[in-house]
Amino acid sequence: MIGLIIIAAIAALIFAAINFYGMKRRDPGTALMQEIAGAIQEGADAFMKHEYKIIAIVAACITVLLTVVVSWYSAASFILGASMSAIAGWIGMKIATISNVRVANEARKTRDIGKTLKVAFQGGSVMGLCVGGFALLGLFIIYIVFGKLLGQLKPENLVFHKNWLGISDIPFTMTVSCYALGCSIIAMFNRVGGGIYTKAADMGADLVGKTEAGIPEDDPRNPATIADNVGDNVGDVAGLGSDLLESYVGSLISAIILAAYIYFSARGTGNFISETLISKLVSYPLVFAALGLFSSMFGVLYLLVKKVSKKPHKELNRATFAGAGITLVSTGILTWFYFASEQVAPINFNIGILSPWVCAVLGIVSGIMIGQMAERYTSYDFKPTQGIAAAAKEGAALTITQGMAVGMTSVIAPVITLGICIIAANAAAGLYGVAMAAIGMLSFVTVTVSVDTYGPIADNAGGISEMAKLDPAVREITDELDAVGNTTAAIGKGFAIGSAALAALSLFASYLYAQAGESSAGGLDLILNMVNTMTLVGALAGAALPYLFSGILINAVANAARKMVQEVRRQFSSDPGILTGKSKPDYKTCISISSAGALSEMKVPAILSVATPLVSGFIFGAEFVGGLLIGTTLSAIMLALYTANAGGAWDNAKKYIEHGHYGGKGSDAHKAAVVGDTVGDPLKDTVGPSLDILIKIMAVVSLITVSIFSKFNLFSLFY
Amino acid sequence: MIYYYLTVFPMEALIASELDPKAFGSYMATGSKKGSAEQLIFIEVEGGFESPFDWDFAEKNCVAHSTGEPKHSLYLSIYRVLENTPNSAMKSMYLVTKDGRTLQLYKTSCKVPGNWKGYALYQELCPVSPLVVSSLNPQQFGEYIISDNDKVTVPAIVFADVKIIDFDDFENSGNVGAMYDRNFDHMKDCIESVKSETEKQTKTVDRSFSSSFTYQIIDTGVYAASSKGVILFTMPTNEELKQQHYDWGKSANIF
Repeated sequence: MIGLIIIAAIAALIFAAINFYGMKRRDPGTALMQEIAGAIQEGADAFMKHEYKIIAIVAACITVLLTVVVSWYSAASFILGASMSAIAGWIGMKIATISNVRVANEARKTRDIGKTLKVAFQGGSVMGLCVGGFALLGLFIIYIVFGKLLGQLKPENLVFHKNWLGISDIPFTMTVSCYALGCSIIAMFNRVGGGIYTKAADMGADLVGKTEAGIPEDDPRNPATIADNVGDNVGDVAGLGSDLLESYVGSLISAIILAAYIYFSARGTGNFISETLISKLVSYPLVFAALGLFSSMFGVLYLLVKKVSKKPHKELNRATFAGAGITLVSTGILTWFYFASEQVAPINFNIGILSPWVCAVLGIVSGIMIGQMAERYTSYDFKPTQGIAAAAKEGAALTITQGMAVGMTSVIAPVITLGICIIAANAAAGLYGVAMAAIGMLSFVTVTVSVDTYGPIADNAGGISEMAKLDPAVREITDELDAVGNTTAAIGKGFAIGSAALAALSLFASYLYAQAGESSAGGLDLILNMVNTMTLVGALAGAALPYLFSGILINAVANAARKMVQEVRRQFSSDPGILTGKSKPDYKTCISISSAGALSEMKVPAILSVATPLVSGFIFGAEFVGGLLIGTTLSAIMLALYTANAGGAWDNAKKYIEHGHYGGKGSDAHKAAVVGDTVGDPLKDTVGPSLDILIKIMAVVSLITVSIFSKFNLFSLFY
Repeated sequence: MIYYYLTVFPMEALIASELDPKAFGSYMATGSKKGSAEQLIFIEVEGGFESPFDWDFAEKNCVAHSTGEPKHSLYLSIYRVLENTPNSAMKSMYLVTKDGRTLQLYKTSCKVPGNWKGYALYQELCPVSPLVVSSLNPQQFGEYIISDNDKVTVPAIVFADVKIIDFDDFENSGNVGAMYDRNFDHMKDCIESVKSETEKQTKTVDRSFSSSFTYQIIDTGVYAASSKGVILFTMPTNEELKQQHYDWGKSANIF
């Protein structure tokens, strides 16, 4: 069965390579189209190279720290995780910048939305397949090299070991945690850096180009337009890919770690867990994920080989549901045979051997429900967003107020769904079940990332069509594909937030095990004592942290956007020939401004997310960090849902007006809606996605370091 | 070659230029460091007609700069230009967007709009700019405004007929810009009064409405009326715009 993991990973990567080179062989269109695409590619390449140089320095520091303070194997797994995530992000960016022009050209040549959708999806599938493939490849290497060859998974090694500093940990849990940390670090930088880049460029292009000069979206006379298109690739593709790879890995390792702690904790309680069963508990999430990957490949293949209709949303849904459906059936069969001969009562599989599968199904259903709820609150087909559009008639203030109300109201239903999912999963299979629910939600991540990546590729294709002055019929096709991409992105965010919440909860449970350390042998009641003042204050500080983090991010976007606005204004006023078409704008300066802004501003939030649990742990101790984690997780989930849905609703309220409601483009309602959309932009595309990573990165860092700061902290010297 | 342009919106002037209509529109909207970024409507006119305008001055001074750069604009008059320009001298009309894209409207004879509802909204553009509701069709309205029978009269006028939305369904207004954002109820009252009072042929909705005027709301086209008759510069349909003038349509917020 373990062989399935490597077969799935390699098959996914081969499939990705076939699609990558297949895409490269496609016709990139006219010389002008190639010139525009070349400028976008050059900008994206340059930014990612700079970004990776900075990440390399941070990663090198963490590697040294892990080697000295924890162990060499934790450092090695950290590097492996960072490499897998970085490679996936890089390939995603590359394929997006290769695909965009080819998608535009397919629309130009065929004038067929179905055929164009296929090409865009082929590009998106490379990112999806890389996310699934690289995540599983890395975990397989960890499993075989550290788990099997180095013996970390031998039952006698699933106990606490002390290192030269006297710090104790279960080696395999530390190894997989550090693998996840590597993925998280890349995800944080890619998401934050890409998020700042893309929104600074987008806002700069809109605020001066569209609003002041009155030039349409993606007009080549706008100096910030190339930077805007570069932003789609580095933020919405590379950032999204690394983010979901990190979520996927986070959910998988949370189940593995819990399995190890459950085994260790059960020793000496009389609830004997056999060696085979613990081995299966550890490998089950990976095999489950492998089947999910195979199923997703089928979903991707289904869309790529079938005759595609003229309804892109329907086709993308079919591919997603095909992937999800096959995952459900195949993993159900797997679970039945996997645990058939095992006594599962001691591990709290309360509804029999299918318990973990039922939890995964709960996760899938919850994910779909949260996605649908996100669509209900953000799509202009429904009342909440239409209400914001109606409020826009009364001006910008009421647009903002109404959007905030929609965003805040939208939080409760997904939280109730998550709550029900957590309670039901816990009842079915304990905390392991909660982790399986997160895995279920992300088991067909390859299809969801493929669908999510297709959106920015279609968006870029629209930009190239516009700049290359392609026929209106071509631009209609790319516009329609882009509009569908916006809806799929909103649904994807629901999945990302939901899975992050479940994974963070599982990691938090692991944290409590790790905090208890060797004393958890013989059984442990996982209790977070909220009456303890350190825990309570930690929770308060944790609840405030996402607001600080979000504030820093919004400020970063505003700073970079301000510089962009000034530059675009400067170019327009110093050279009137830009608007008359006599002179070419200076695209490179705008790209440099976005790059420099993102690179300098991304460090503080990224370092904050890693340093906060560390510093507070070494000062206040493990109880404080326990509170900090729960406070951050709860507050960040609410804020992430609020920002994603409010931002999405503002965006679509503007689009609703642009489709000929309340006066349409140029009306007072439209001007107010543009303000709402601009306010919502950094919320939905920079803050919201980064919060998902914040809670997981903090949980993983705490999990890795709890054994150190529970022994060495400033506060313990006085109390 | 010297072109002569009669600008009718946002200001009335006669300008000589070495730029062709497209380049002139682009220059006037965006190409000057005066910082203008605004819509402009002008009519190309055949120079030399009998009038108070100094054609010789134009011939002498509208010459290329020493750098070879063509002369962009030479103002010949900024007052009472329209009334001194005969319809016969008018060629095509050009609608220039805020970002400098130009759409040519061809001159035709005036006709009653096919979808005549019994009343119409007219945006007067030059020399005065109120928004008026009237039970008169464009031909009758043009003749009515220039006739001496009424105290409210001008010697010549340029006006556009405006798209009328379903007032009871503003949510589905279509792309009409800021046209209906102000005085919505007053506008409905004005229309009601023109529809119900047969002796009331016109009613002013707003004395100066030009700031809200956008190309999105032009229905049949733009009319020029003088004592010599009424002519129409026909607005292309949305489908024609999409097929032939998509970029202009996007800049004009129509798409």
